[in-house]
Amino acid sequence: MTPKPRSHRRLIALVAVLALAAAGCGGGDDDDTTAPESSGSSTTAEVSPQGDPVRGGSITVGIEAETNSWLPGSANFSNAGINVALAIYDPLFRRDADGVLHPYLAEKMAVSDDLTEWTVTLRSGVKFHDGTPLTAQAMKTTFDTYINATGSNLAGQVKDVQSVTAVDELTLLYTLAAPNAAFGDVLAGAVGWAFSPTAAASGPDAGSHPVGTGPFLFGDWQRDSKLVLTRNPDYWQEGLPYLDEIVFRPIPDEDTRISSLKTGDVDAVQSLRQSAIRQLQDLDGVDTYEFLGNNSGSAIFNTSVAPLDDVRVRRALAYALDQDQLIEVLGGTGITPAETQYFSEDSPYYSEAVAAAWPTGDAEEAAKLIDEYVNDPERSDGKAVGDPVTFTFDCPPDPSLIELSQLYQAFWGGIGVEVDLNQVEQATHVSEAIAGDYQAKCWRVGDQGDPYRTFTDAFTADSPLNFTRFSHPRIDEALDVLRTTADNEARKAAVEDISMVLAEEVPNTFTAATLSVLAVQENVKNVDGWTFPDGTKGEGVPGATTMWGHVWLAE
Amino acid sequence: MARSLTRRVVPLAATLIAVSFLTFLLTSLLPGDPAVQILGPQGATPEAVARVRADLHLDDPLLVRYARWVGDVAQGDLGRSYRTGQEVRDAIGERLPVTLEIGGMAIVFALLGAIPLGMLSAYRAGGGVDRAVTGTSFALLAVPSFMMAIVLILVFAEQLGWAPATGWVRLSDDVGDNLRGAVLPALSISIGELAVYTRLLRSDTIATLQEDYISLARAKGMPTFWILLRHALRPSSFSLLTVVGLQIGAIMSGSVLIETLFALPGVGRLLVDSIYQRDLVMVQGIALVVAVSYVVVNFAVDIVYTYLDPRIRRGRAAARA
Repeated sequence: MTPKPRSHRRLIALVAVLALAAAGCGGGDDDDTTAPESSGSSTTAEVSPQGDPVRGGSITVGIEAETNSWLPGSANFSNAGINVALAIYDPLFRRDADGVLHPYLAEKMAVSDDLTEWTVTLRSGVKFHDGTPLTAQAMKTTFDTYINATGSNLAGQVKDVQSVTAVDELTLLYTLAAPNAAFGDVLAGAVGWAFSPTAAASGPDAGSHPVGTGPFLFGDWQRDSKLVLTRNPDYWQEGLPYLDEIVFRPIPDEDTRISSLKTGDVDAVQSLRQSAIRQLQDLDGVDTYEFLGNNSGSAIFNTSVAPLDDVRVRRALAYALDQDQLIEVLGGTGITPAETQYFSEDSPYYSEAVAAAWPTGDAEEAAKLIDEYVNDPERSDGKAVGDPVTFTFDCPPDPSLIELSQLYQAFWGGIGVEVDLNQVEQATHVSEAIAGDYQAKCWRVGDQGDPYRTFTDAFTADSPLNFTRFSHPRIDEALDVLRTTADNEARKAAVEDISMVLAEEVPNTFTAATLSVLAVQENVKNVDGWTFPDGTKGEGVPGATTMWGHVWLAE
Repeated sequence: MARSLTRRVVPLAATLIAVSFLTFLLTSLLPGDPAVQILGPQGATPEAVARVRADLHLDDPLLVRYARWVGDVAQGDLGRSYRTGQEVRDAIGERLPVTLEIGGMAIVFALLGAIPLGMLSAYRAGGGVDRAVTGTSFALLAVPSFMMAIVLILVFAEQLGWAPATGWVRLSDDVGDNLRGAVLPALSISIGELAVYTRLLRSDTIATLQEDYISLARAKGMPTFWILLRHALRPSSFSLLTVVGLQIGAIMSGSVLIETLFALPGVGRLLVDSIYQRDLVMVQGIALVVAVSYVVVNFAVDIVYTYLDPRIRRGRAAARA
């Protein structure tokens, strides 16, 4: 993965759609982390000249949603929440411009040969906002008490961790029950954000008063209205942050968020909705910073129930789709490319072979496969030979998703499959998927995480996130490789194996990868130019999030 | 008076118990497990879900949970949200002023427009002014508030720049900015109300204007303005008052659409988010507060009736005698 030059913007600018973005389709996108080598790419298309850094000033950022709490473990961090969190907390690691994990708050990391012992050395002289020093013991305490604890929503990510030990004042040892080459990826996310154990212990309301080591101090928080962060005068990175203050305003409605940028009520907005991205690209005096991720709209099939337990039916459903038309309904034509696997074209794990093998856009082949099933006396749904295939397709009641599901229905109806559309509210949608209590659902699949984590969650027999109930011996074998080797070529080959099984077995289909954007007034600078403490360039604006400490306001 | 109070307090208590129990019942019937919402799909292993459910007593029988909640409420404790960790009482306390301000402003705007328009079109019933007002009212009635909001944002925020599209400022922080932020949302809500109020007032006023005492006032040569305001308005305002009363109750629960569009931190958004996230304690608390205010406001309206129209008081006295 390399950063895209400007001219690629149109190409990259392909994306995403499900207007529903994070909120809409549940699952899978609550995770900012990016894997040892994965992720999409960022572009700084047509932005104004950056000039020299300027100290001072205040900006207001319009984000998509409010976050329930700021305490890792109880907080549900969507892209909106991660943006704020990256101003309050420092991550141990993040990805650099080449998609490789690089230490940020950590000084360095060492891994034992058997990939079970991960030693993280913290930087010295770092203090939490409440004045207590950052130590290995503090990290261990917060890990044991909040991350790997009853009711923690991060516990699933760290279930392989046997123990965390504070070896000395700044050295932290994570011991895993089994080798895991992708564990660094976990530490790049909320699990690796440093927060003060004293503040976290202040009571049930501690999530409203977070204390990190980050460039900004948490100030006045009026839920659903605004959150004021002020400059951390004792920040450990000399010269940062540039801004005196950032105000985050949750503005859930896409149109009013854009209006607020136009009128100058806010200086920056984030968006993951294609139609909005197009509008933002066209605004005068506004710079847009885009990022194409691996997250894609999808129809998932429950492979444990008839008729979707039969691969002929699933392949037929994939063949029946014209992906370009689905993308058009979502408003993504020209900004988002059709997806054929869990990785977009910019990802190092993207495979041409898989793209060629993906069944799509062939109604004849689709009809042939369905006929085979319908005329099979042993057909899995137990119906009489010749009876049409029927199933129910669930989607949350979002206008763009309703339109999308009607298009699915039309395509599948075209090959003689009768689809009942069913609207389910989001929480129910997710619960049913976890319980396997459905036939087919609209969903989002794929993320910026390491493929080992993504595929272990999605396609192993005992994972609670295996919504499709699909697993396969070849996938298990490949996951074993991903878990036990750090060699990039071997890992890419293993990922290709998995993607190929998915293209053959079709537990889900794809629409298009999601493009996200941070749009700012021209005087807001260095939005994607953040660097690591050693000067290495960062990966830009994944999921429309950035490191706010590096952003400045031109005079 | 004391007797009429007790006569009302008993049904009031009964209403509150019914409302809170039904809310309890309905929320517990919602599909989707609160424990899964808390843990997120990744953490929702069967063991983790079982532990969280036990922590929150979600596996107790409904009646036991209800009784425990009522016991807490009786001591002034509405509980603590397990989604945000906030006290339910504090969360509602933060949101209520916003919702009340927007709703109150909307009703004032609507009345300011409806009273002159309604009286005028009643006085000239069938004339050009009446037809124009009637036509406009029906047109406005047909425009949903969120549509009105979008138009108002386009015109007054984007084009003219008179008021911000979003950006709520607390009254205690800056009165001017607070009012600027409240105007567009209040207008969006008020326009539909204005149409309803105007129609109601018009038809009641037309009836009033047939009364003998109006003819007498005219015969005495009183100016039209005085007749309408002093003699016709009060007896014509019953239907209007009833509807405004109901409306005051309704605004307590906020307008979800308007609060979302204008990014206002009101009760409506809190309620809807809480339902989506299965934050049952919060839903329960809001339902209770809304129910109480609804009942109290309508009780107050009933009392105002008797002062507005002496015939009601005399009628009751006569009935008792």
